[in-house]
Amino acid sequence: MSRFLFLIPRLGRGVLTIWFAVTVTFLLLRLLPGDPALAIASPNMTEETRAILLKEYGLDQPLIVQYGIYLWQVVQGNLGVSFTQSIPVFDVLMQRLPWTLLLTGTALVTTVAVGIPLGVLAASHRGRFLDRLVQIIGVTGQSIFVPSIGVLFLFVFGLMLGWLPIGGAYDQDAYGLAWYGSVATHLALPALSLMLVQLGSYVLTMRSTLIDALREDYTLLAKANGLPYRRVLWRHALRNALLPTTTLIGLQLGFLVGGAVLTETVFAYPGIGRGIYEAVTQLDFPVLQGAFLALAITVVVANMITDTVYGFLDPRVKKA
Amino acid sequence: MYPRKIALAAAALVASALTLSACAPSAPPAATAVAGSQTLTVATTTDVVNYNPLIGNSRSDYWITNLMYPHLLSIANDGSKVPQVATKWGYVNEKTGFYEIRHDLKWSDGQPLTAEDVAWTMNAVKKDKPSGTFYGQLANLDTATAVSPTRVEFTLTKPDSSVVEEIGFWGNIVPKHVFEKAASVAKFANDGTDGGWVSAGPYKLTKVQVGQSYTLDRVDTYPLISGGTPLSAHVVFRVFPDINTEILALQSGEVDLIANALPPAQVAKLKATSGVTVEESVGLGYAHMTYNMDNPDLAKLEVRQALAHAVDYEAIRKVVLQGQAVSTGSSPLMPVLKDYYDSSITEYDFSTDKSRRLMEKAGYTAGSGGVFPVKFRLIYSLQDSVTSQWATLVKDSAAQAGIVIELQGTERNTYLAKTNKGDFDIYAGNFAIMDDPVTNMTLSYLPGGAINYTHVNDSKLNDLIAQGAATTDKGKKVTLMREAAKIVRDNVYDNIMYTQNLYFAHSSKWTGFVSKPSELLSLVNPVSLAGAHPTGK
Amino acid sequence: MRNTAAVAVEVTGSEPVAFENGRASLQTWRAFRREPLGMLALGILLLLVIAAVAAPLIAPYPPSYGDPVLASPNPQHWFGTDSLGRDVFGEVVWGSQQSILVAVAASAIAIVVGTVIAVIGAYFRRLDSFVSVLVDVTLSLPVLPLMILIAALVGPSTTTIILVVAAFSWPEVTRLVRSQALIVVQLPYVDAARLMTTSPLWIIARHIVPAVTPVIVVSVVVTASRAVLSAAGLAFLGLGDPNAWSWGRILYEAQQSGAMSSAWWLTLFPSIAILMLVLAATLLSVAYNDARNPRSRRR
Repeated sequence: MSRFLFLIPRLGRGVLTIWFAVTVTFLLLRLLPGDPALAIASPNMTEETRAILLKEYGLDQPLIVQYGIYLWQVVQGNLGVSFTQSIPVFDVLMQRLPWTLLLTGTALVTTVAVGIPLGVLAASHRGRFLDRLVQIIGVTGQSIFVPSIGVLFLFVFGLMLGWLPIGGAYDQDAYGLAWYGSVATHLALPALSLMLVQLGSYVLTMRSTLIDALREDYTLLAKANGLPYRRVLWRHALRNALLPTTTLIGLQLGFLVGGAVLTETVFAYPGIGRGIYEAVTQLDFPVLQGAFLALAITVVVANMITDTVYGFLDPRVKKA
Repeated sequence: MYPRKIALAAAALVASALTLSACAPSAPPAATAVAGSQTLTVATTTDVVNYNPLIGNSRSDYWITNLMYPHLLSIANDGSKVPQVATKWGYVNEKTGFYEIRHDLKWSDGQPLTAEDVAWTMNAVKKDKPSGTFYGQLANLDTATAVSPTRVEFTLTKPDSSVVEEIGFWGNIVPKHVFEKAASVAKFANDGTDGGWVSAGPYKLTKVQVGQSYTLDRVDTYPLISGGTPLSAHVVFRVFPDINTEILALQSGEVDLIANALPPAQVAKLKATSGVTVEESVGLGYAHMTYNMDNPDLAKLEVRQALAHAVDYEAIRKVVLQGQAVSTGSSPLMPVLKDYYDSSITEYDFSTDKSRRLMEKAGYTAGSGGVFPVKFRLIYSLQDSVTSQWATLVKDSAAQAGIVIELQGTERNTYLAKTNKGDFDIYAGNFAIMDDPVTNMTLSYLPGGAINYTHVNDSKLNDLIAQGAATTDKGKKVTLMREAAKIVRDNVYDNIMYTQNLYFAHSSKWTGFVSKPSELLSLVNPVSLAGAHPTGK
Repeated sequence: MRNTAAVAVEVTGSEPVAFENGRASLQTWRAFRREPLGMLALGILLLLVIAAVAAPLIAPYPPSYGDPVLASPNPQHWFGTDSLGRDVFGEVVWGSQQSILVAVAASAIAIVVGTVIAVIGAYFRRLDSFVSVLVDVTLSLPVLPLMILIAALVGPSTTTIILVVAAFSWPEVTRLVRSQALIVVQLPYVDAARLMTTSPLWIIARHIVPAVTPVIVVSVVVTASRAVLSAAGLAFLGLGDPNAWSWGRILYEAQQSGAMSSAWWLTLFPSIAILMLVLAATLLSVAYNDARNPRSRRR
């Protein structure tokens, strides 16, 4: 049990992070220019209609009052009602959040699954051709502009070869097992694109930490003890080299969840990043506030999970 | 061993995500219908924002709610109104209008669609003031009453000769027995959570995956098409935020029709693509620039004229619009409105020399480099790709005339906010449907008009528009409007640049679409979708 | 999209080098010269900078329209023409100015702000916990959605883009520099300096900043390349500067005109330009790190 105790200060920091995100969003929306009434009504709306709308949204009240009301509602778990869709913000978010989690989760898992072996390969062939090749692939991947590669993928796999569907998250007319199949085929290209752009960080982190770990005393000792190289590499060096990778996952997941806007746009994937972009174009304040809150919570939770995993991996944390 | 743990964790993550993403739906009972069991898939770039047709404002909202909540009137290619739900319409006296409606329409839950629904919708919109276009048309409405199951009469607060056709065209009819449960039609989400949607059109929304698709099922009786039954069993709207993906999906057969108008540069390319058919839809609106007369420089007629002569209209239509636009002769009476069009009103000719002379006449002297000491800020929406493209051409040709224009392209909301506040020198934008000259001039040129972006207040013009609104005599109305259009053109109260004809692409495997004017109706109007069918049939 | 992707490169693997004197720099340079990838990257970066600076000599500024439209690459138009008949080669060359300007300006601001905050935090230990919380919290914000929000509300312009990208890049710099600075302030020579003077400013400027410079050099490159991708992403969503050519704007206009899949030249060339810049910057930082670190230098 004690190994979870270190999470308590983390929890406090998590709450602070969430409060910060909520406040930043709240203030940005209200202090920057932009009139939500205009975004909703048709352009030839009267001044009267506009006043009614602003009053209805509570935007005619002083800023501090709005902020107080909003925070109180959030604490109670009430995210408000969407300006443009007239339905609860929670429902709006839940229509999209699961797909984003599926997309980013899959991308993350495959990235780690591919990135770690590649990093090991590069580290164990340091300075040689394979090392260079792996580095170049990794770095090229993360320098790619997603929409460009996205359209290329769609053109090749969707149109020319016809292997994979274009756009959406599943087939309308698929049921049962076939439905899962269609989810997988729709997921393939967007997840591949996301994986390509992230892969570099994992490969390079893995490579450099592993190179360092292989020089550490304990691995040298293990080698001196006559353990086979592969065993030293996979059991001793890798275990320590995984720590920075875990940190990296925690750091990236948050960015990924909100940051897949471009991928979701090109692949017509129904995720929350695109939802945020649309809410921006509609100036739907409650949805934006709710979405940023959801993203902040995702990041905090993801960080807590990685901290826990870190605790399992790193023996030093147990003592603390 | 650690890789194995990670693999386990990975599997758990994927599994939990899958569970979250809703479990696989189970198959519905096998359909019995054989003939016409096909699905028509339509691509659109945006999601539905609001399912309430009285509020909805985006293209997708309009297209999908139109399939369920019919309009009293539709529109012909020349802007004249044609029957839809209403069979006859007009005035009982100068302050009372009427509609006679079809007797054979039913809501999909079995209730008949009656004059009571029509009257209730009009009164509810008047009372609750929802933010859509409909409410804007009801300024002069007093009360609507169903005098019989098929006849609605409504009183006006003052004589208005356009209101019957405008309400009939812009307003949807909603089912009273569903919408009256809501406290206010302005706040009713109509999201189908309360027992699903009820439709009096050819299709009824049944399933929604936000960000991905909107599935509509056939309503078996739809008397507005021959045969009385829509041909396709389902219509699915699929969301493709990126037009490039949309085009790829059409080519791969993933979708059958693209609802959005094609970018002008893609029309020729897709016409030449095998398996794709491109159809034309007549434009009923215009693109224009207005000069804010609150700016002391722009308040001078010569300056506005100088700007109007410093635009290469022909190049804009030829290059940006690829020849898919027609000149209106710089008049708000577009050629497509055949009754009103006046060919004696001609376009401002492109002549930077003329512009310079006009600027000098207005009292400005060009400094070194031939540049006049003025600078104007032109606003436009970055979401409007055609306007974004010609804005650059406007800036460059004005520079040749020694007039500096600074482009301020912004995100749509910022643009609307600036427009509303009058925070601009020159405004560039467009309107999809400007079907009725009197209504449009009332909104565009009368002081306090909602789209009077020039901030013009010309007593002679005001007078003509007021007379036009009051008269029911068509010939007299045309004469008045032509006179008003001439004033607008000569005083550069508005610089109308062109009417764009639109092109829509569908799979060659489908046929039977009926093209209607503007992007709002195009090939996705209810009658068109109900009558579309695969060519093999 | 991918805002942290590049960061991890230098997070690890480099160890604290107390300070570099002239001899060490020379050694680093010698080691660096033996890294073929690093030298190649340096060459590409120089080439791109030259293209940006000498743009007027290389290609005329793209006119407002031309003829023919959507022509594929040919001897007159090396990179083809776009949907208004403008020369794509000219757009790419002139676009490099804005893209590189955003990269340099945004990373300069981020580096200055990030370093100042980090060093102050490290030196005045009472402020450090506040700094670290601030950094952690800011790093957890969903960066791209926030950038979209601000750019959309404020109105897109080059200045907006630079400021927005900088505003969300500094915490990463602070994080890197802070870990280095924390080690440096505990070294004996800093203690010695504290005895000699009472001016913290002098110690910071004279001893701490030089010691963290190598870390800063690396993060300049990484932040700059990330800024290019962020700016391109914003431009692609329609939030770029409509008055200046940039690589992102070329891609945005290609997307708007629906030509991305049919007119491959509209997508390919600006994408390659972005790729080259980011790739070269990243390879440069990897090579520099390897060269600087005596333990990982190749013999």
